[in-house]
Amino acid sequence: MAQPRLFSLVLLTVALGAQALTPSYHLSLSDVARLQALLSQPFTDLASAYYSIVGLSKLGASVADENDACHFLKAQLDPMSVDSLFFAAEASQAISDCEIPVSNETRDILLAAVSEDSTVTQIFRAVSALSSLGLPLASQEVVGALVARIAKEDNVLAITTALQTATRLSQQADFGGILEEIEDLAARLDDLGGVYLQFEEGLEATALFVTAAYTLSDHVDTEPPLKEDQVIQLVNSVFSKKSWQSLSEAFSVACAAAALSNNRFQVPVIVSAQGPATVSHNQPILQLLVTDVLSNPLASASVVVESAQAVVSKNVILTQAPFSLRDGIFELNFMTSQPASGYYQFTVAITGDTRLVASQVELKVKVSTEVAITNMDLSVVDKDQSIGTKTSRVDYPFKAKGSFTADSHQNFAMTFQLVDVNTGVELTPHQTFVRLHNHKTGQEVVFVAEPDSKNLYKFELDTAERKSEFDSMSGTYALHLIVGDATLENPILWNVADVVLKFLDEEAPAAIQSKTLYMPKPDIQHLFREPEKKPPTVVSNAFTALVLSPFLLLLILWFKLGANISNFSFSPSAVLFHVGHACMLGLMYVYWTHLNMFQTLKYLAIIGSLTFLAGNRMLAQKAVKRIASK
Amino acid sequence: MATRTSDRQTSRGSSTLLSNKRTLSMAQTKSNFIFFLTMSSMMHMALADGKTLVLLDNLNIRDTHSIFFRSLADRGFDLSFKTADDPSLSLIKYGQFLYDHLIIFSPSVEDFGGNINVETITSFIDGGGNVLVAAGSDIGDPLRELGSECGIEFDEEKTAVIDHHHYDVSDPGEHTLIVADPENLLKAPTIVGNPSDKPILFKGVGMVADPDNPLVLDILTGSSTSYSYFPDRPISQYPHAVGKNTLLIAGLQARNNARVVFSGSLYFFSDAFFNSAVQKATPGSQRYAQTGNMELAEALSQWVFKEAGVLRVGAVTHHPVGESTPPAAYTITDLVEYSVVIEMLSKGSWVPFDGKDIQLEFVRIDPFVRTYLKKNGDKYSIQFKLPDVYGVFQFKVDYNRLGYTHLYSSTQVSVRPLQHTQYDRFIPSAFPYYASVFSMMGGLFVFSIVFLHMKEKEKSD
Repeated sequence: MAQPRLFSLVLLTVALGAQALTPSYHLSLSDVARLQALLSQPFTDLASAYYSIVGLSKLGASVADENDACHFLKAQLDPMSVDSLFFAAEASQAISDCEIPVSNETRDILLAAVSEDSTVTQIFRAVSALSSLGLPLASQEVVGALVARIAKEDNVLAITTALQTATRLSQQADFGGILEEIEDLAARLDDLGGVYLQFEEGLEATALFVTAAYTLSDHVDTEPPLKEDQVIQLVNSVFSKKSWQSLSEAFSVACAAAALSNNRFQVPVIVSAQGPATVSHNQPILQLLVTDVLSNPLASASVVVESAQAVVSKNVILTQAPFSLRDGIFELNFMTSQPASGYYQFTVAITGDTRLVASQVELKVKVSTEVAITNMDLSVVDKDQSIGTKTSRVDYPFKAKGSFTADSHQNFAMTFQLVDVNTGVELTPHQTFVRLHNHKTGQEVVFVAEPDSKNLYKFELDTAERKSEFDSMSGTYALHLIVGDATLENPILWNVADVVLKFLDEEAPAAIQSKTLYMPKPDIQHLFREPEKKPPTVVSNAFTALVLSPFLLLLILWFKLGANISNFSFSPSAVLFHVGHACMLGLMYVYWTHLNMFQTLKYLAIIGSLTFLAGNRMLAQKAVKRIASK
Repeated sequence: MATRTSDRQTSRGSSTLLSNKRTLSMAQTKSNFIFFLTMSSMMHMALADGKTLVLLDNLNIRDTHSIFFRSLADRGFDLSFKTADDPSLSLIKYGQFLYDHLIIFSPSVEDFGGNINVETITSFIDGGGNVLVAAGSDIGDPLRELGSECGIEFDEEKTAVIDHHHYDVSDPGEHTLIVADPENLLKAPTIVGNPSDKPILFKGVGMVADPDNPLVLDILTGSSTSYSYFPDRPISQYPHAVGKNTLLIAGLQARNNARVVFSGSLYFFSDAFFNSAVQKATPGSQRYAQTGNMELAEALSQWVFKEAGVLRVGAVTHHPVGESTPPAAYTITDLVEYSVVIEMLSKGSWVPFDGKDIQLEFVRIDPFVRTYLKKNGDKYSIQFKLPDVYGVFQFKVDYNRLGYTHLYSSTQVSVRPLQHTQYDRFIPSAFPYYASVFSMMGGLFVFSIVFLHMKEKEKSD
């Protein structure tokens, strides 16, 4: 698949853009395909048909069904409207065998539109329609109308449209001030960071200006007043947008691409490596693609390396070496000059066509190699050195048998060398890390292994000193060696051995707050107070019986003594007194179970007063009776 | 009525309004709820057309990142694009925030224009504004400072995250175009979207999280073999970030629910990365026709601009079981039913939230009861027995989960001890006392009758 490769080209060219001013963006093959796909949408109206048909023809493609498209144009044509005529006429030009019928009325409408009273757009559309339909027009009149209109509509779009109109006029006409408008417009472009040059009106305005400038320059055969840097900046801003929002935007980009890749004066050239710009012993040939902005190869060019310089040592190892052309790709076997691994700065010149812009290109080329690990020795060393060290050798890619144990009195040590497989030279790659990974907790600690003066890598782990980095978590750690470098084709991730680390004072690892911040908290059940333990009910029941017994005793003794109530007389006062008395006692019970003091006093006052009166009367009666009986 | 309700809400506007409320009777709670509803419709509108300031290095970024910006615009954001050094920039005018959200896509800015600087951005975040920051290897000082304010330490300028084991086939040569495995994403679908197996392309600067800041979220980390350093200089000191500590994308939800996302890579959001194919350079690795960048960027932007993971509290009700209104004060050991409506913002409207781990606390200084709420129709409810301790308590729902706004609701109630009539009247152990009293009372009654009405026999008998 071509996509990742082309994508890399974009990135590579981005990287290059920073050094010398070379185009950072162009339409890669996949971009062109996407642009074509966008332009190949079904037509909705005449304008979309125009954008699709003409846009596709600019990209060198055509609509799927030309007959259908032609029918669509004819069906939608409104012979009274300048816009409609313009869209249909221009689109029909891009389709073979599609004639738009012209009547005298149509011609009159179009000619009438060419006047100082119409807008620039109207003039452009009328003029374009007339020239596409093969109808005669008076060029000098048009120029006059345009000049008058530009004075009124002084904006980028209007002037650009005027320039486009001028391309449809006869070459013999006197364009006067119109050609100078290109230069004026170029002065209005905004420079963004020295990389982009664009109108603030947006991508469409910029792209149409590029189109108009080159088409007009071709038309009148004078070099456009744009400097090389400006051209490159324009290329960057027109092609940096990779996702087009509307048909007209896509159309404008397609037109600009066509104008930039095919004109008589300035053709920006895109130099990019085929795939990554990397050579190695396995793949010694550096392949360059030299294309225009539409990714069409420029086969006529010839490519020469002016110099190739090592980035680090600044040694020039190659000068004036030509690339050979094979199947549209320029190739050079760089490994014949036996470069060491690393980056090389290439200055590449493209010749063979005077139109080329940005023909001097700086390229960064990588020479990569393969690494091998040798002399890997592992040992556990006592700090006081009283016990001789026992080293064990491990070979890549195997894992050491058994595990190594290091406590706080010992150091764990590892030595190894890294050599170039192809040349046998010792290497010092960018990344030589030792990673200790605890499977249980998922914790990983990474150390950097550093080479000594003889490029022998040594890694010592002082268990006591490094305690804090491991959070004092004793346990088995998997020891990995990570070797990597941008110039290494085989990065290494090697599980060398298992190491058991023992730390002295193992503290419970502090709870990390962020882990618990978003977790549910533990449930809390309220513990209700236990009711106090009560004495056995047997005791209380026994005492209840004991307490009740005097009352029973009273009743029994009374019975024996012959207690009676024979004197009771059923007078209302007597009955009322005893009922009232009983009620008062009952009220005491209700007070205990239900009522409060105030309610009780209220009821007591009622019952009490009644009982009092009844009692008084009853006793009075009794006294009267007793006196009478005497 | 001694019930007091206070709710902390998700939006700036409503929280200030609600904090003005002091004492609410329960009768007012209903009108309170209606107030919520009107509030919510206002908030909904406020969220739909969020005014967003986009700061760019140059306006061309609008074109190179058009898919991302278009997806924001399609979702109703009102984007205003400015270059970061535009002298007319301002975030705050007359003490009011001019924008709801801020996007900083200008890694290399050395000084913001206008009256924007790191302090104003920090106070924007303190005021509840959301910020999306994309950096790159050309990161300038202001962004590094802003990162430090948020607990994220960027590596130095010109450094890049390097991974010699997981780089893309189209890497231009320095192994800085990294393929990040989706396993290294934070396990929080509200933030990173639904899990997918598409790898993520990244090219830019690395970050590490401040270990003392518990709010920083490691949204995307590097693999164990990654590190952050100058690609063109040999390693002479310990790299700023190594292994899984290397953050590629980090996030932060502040205590005021303002959200900030830092991406170490501006390319991450670019059209080129969205549309690119991706394949690790290791031989035999799988090729994916598209990166996961677009989905991740969209999910991140939804989260950071408060379209996802936003919760709010609706009506809160509580009453004793078997009744429908709350009493002036609960009595200890009452059986109480509490229910709360919790809603989530989804595609611009509030829908009932579906959570399984919402906890209710019954708090008097310390929680006495903490229990899970059960979903019951549209609301969450629970019945529980009040503790046998009296005092002023709060029903508290404090829901703080990864990716969601902090949801907090507390309702104050008082719990009083038993009244004297509510105690047990007859304790078995005290039966002798009751018996003696009742026998005395019975005795008095019987004795008074006998004493008053006995007919003594004649002495002669």
